[in-house]
Amino acid sequence: MRRRKSITITLFVFVLAYVLAIHPVPVAQALEGPEIKIGVAVCITGHGANVGKREAIGAQAAVDVINAQGGVNGVPLKLYIEDTASNPQEAVNAVRKLAGDHKVLGIVGPHYSSVGETTFPLGNQLRIIQIAVASSKPGLAAANRPYAFRNTLTEDKIAGAVVREFKKRYGIQKVAIITDIKDAVSRSVGTKVLPPAFKGQGIEVMTGDKPVTYQTNDTQFRAQITKLKAMNPDGVGMGALGPDALNIITEARRQGMKQPFMSTAPIMEGEVPELGGKAVLGTFSGTIWHLSMVTPASKKFVEAYKNRAKTMYTSKYTETPDYYPVNAYDAVFMIVEGIKAMCVSNSAGDLQMDRDKLMYYMAALRDFNGVASRGFNCVGDGVKDVHVFEIKGGHWVPIKK
Amino acid sequence: MPPHPYPYSEPRMFLQQLVNGVTLGSTYSLIAIGFTLVLGLLNMLNIAHGDIFMFGAFLGLSLAMLGIPLYLALILAMLGAGILAIIIERLCFRPLRKAHFLMPLLSTIAFGILLQNVATQIWGSEPSRYPQTTEVAQFQLGPVLVSSIDILIVAISIFLMLGIDQFVRRTRFGRAMRATSEKAQTASLLGVDINRVIIFTFFTSGALAGVAGVLTALVYLQITPFIGIRQGLIGMVAMVIGGVGNLRGAMIGGLMIGIIEVMNDAYFTASYRDIILFGLFLIFIVFKPEGLFGKKEP
Repeated sequence: MRRRKSITITLFVFVLAYVLAIHPVPVAQALEGPEIKIGVAVCITGHGANVGKREAIGAQAAVDVINAQGGVNGVPLKLYIEDTASNPQEAVNAVRKLAGDHKVLGIVGPHYSSVGETTFPLGNQLRIIQIAVASSKPGLAAANRPYAFRNTLTEDKIAGAVVREFKKRYGIQKVAIITDIKDAVSRSVGTKVLPPAFKGQGIEVMTGDKPVTYQTNDTQFRAQITKLKAMNPDGVGMGALGPDALNIITEARRQGMKQPFMSTAPIMEGEVPELGGKAVLGTFSGTIWHLSMVTPASKKFVEAYKNRAKTMYTSKYTETPDYYPVNAYDAVFMIVEGIKAMCVSNSAGDLQMDRDKLMYYMAALRDFNGVASRGFNCVGDGVKDVHVFEIKGGHWVPIKK
Repeated sequence: MPPHPYPYSEPRMFLQQLVNGVTLGSTYSLIAIGFTLVLGLLNMLNIAHGDIFMFGAFLGLSLAMLGIPLYLALILAMLGAGILAIIIERLCFRPLRKAHFLMPLLSTIAFGILLQNVATQIWGSEPSRYPQTTEVAQFQLGPVLVSSIDILIVAISIFLMLGIDQFVRRTRFGRAMRATSEKAQTASLLGVDINRVIIFTFFTSGALAGVAGVLTALVYLQITPFIGIRQGLIGMVAMVIGGVGNLRGAMIGGLMIGIIEVMNDAYFTASYRDIILFGLFLIFIVFKPEGLFGKKEP
């Protein structure tokens, strides 16, 4: 009799497990606590102040959207924002404060690779996830498994797509490369990303392994442009940030160069089309998201961002979003999905287990349906779609393939 | 590795680079003169000088944005930067005249950082640009291409440099400046109003930095609150190379650095630029502290 009963129970459990496995019933997991705490560690001051503030607004916009729908199973989200001051030392304090004092479940940020180099190892030590919103130095997340994630796309994937369209449009056979040698991302684009991207499409790189060089925020590019002009390439590839790219192209037109320019995502910030006028027309770039994209998810993000930007860090540098706040916005949604899917309890005693659950969730996340995010690959770097753009009439306009 | 597929040593490119260097160098000269005026007079270094340059550039930009014509914006920015320099004198130098000699240096460091942060609050940390009001006219002079802005910047620089040089050498007030720099106490006994001389010198020094700021931003189109740090350092290098306190030395020092910088970028790599410039700086300080043109004279 007892035996029959236990068989029945076992059978029942199996059937239930089977049913749940094919039809995962969204059981409202009881979440504890008055709020769910998510940390944001970005640069609110220092060199990256403007972009950092946009990222914080992006994250807050996600929180606004979620809380407007009643939070996560009835519990509202609360964001804790700490300033990394654009430097690694301050960033370490920010991450410690978020993890130790505020006891957040996961951290959105940092922005810079140089900052991630110190905060990622710390995150592994404290056992809490960080989802960087910029940082594209190759291998950084891979070197900091398992808690480091980067919701960005490394530049090589963007460069390949841009070069293909650039060649198609202008019939490029030989190019010259000009690169920043101070900024880590630009230097890597100019010296490591662009040369193989060009060669891969059968384009000759006239500068060989000695690109024309300058330093971030140089006030003038005359020597460099005189040199490029003397080489007479079909087009110019730049490893540059937006403001420098703008000055490079402007100086090139002043010296009478007519060739087209191209680069990757970093030149899409800094209002190059708006400020560059006629000089920058026909410049190519690629990115993971841009304001001109009009998918429903994208529209919802822009609306939430603009609403929030009216009251948070108000300035003309934070009014309109670029792709960094999108990464932050998506990162918050990823954490929320993780909380639901992994049945995070949010009770004080489970804090470490909850943090670990989020880490495991991110590590396996491949099919996320964000504004511009699909999840992470097996070394923690973002999986995203690439869109190629050109400058037309004062704006970045997507190229129809 | 095959040789480069284009002629590096083409004389035409060299000449063009020389023109580039002179244009760049003339703004450095303006900054260096401002440094050397104050240092020659008070034997004190105004570390915030580079930040006055930055402030002048932003002031000019804001005025130009308001629709004020460029020449007027330039003059107003010059005045504004001059007044800022006077404020620095009253705040960072005058109360500390009897203090330890390092105190004014430290107070100007603090003032410089203050200025950078105030500028970040007002104008943001991302680079700002002058509106492209006019298309830049280009002139083909023999083998080289010169723009209207090049001509403007070099002409204004030369005009101001020669003006100040003559003022210090030829006028009564200039003589008072030279006397104060020689021995302030004696000059005071002989009836020179030291405070007036000092205020005038600071004003001139600041005004020159302000002009340099506007001109730099015009030619190169962008400015950030942190632009003054490097420009200030470069001005200091130019001053030391030319000989501390020597006006003409500062002019030539500035031009030299402009040319060295451009030639380095053209023929080597930008990463060597600061190694060369600041290596030169160190060599001069250690082995030839009087600079190329001797010790102070104004």
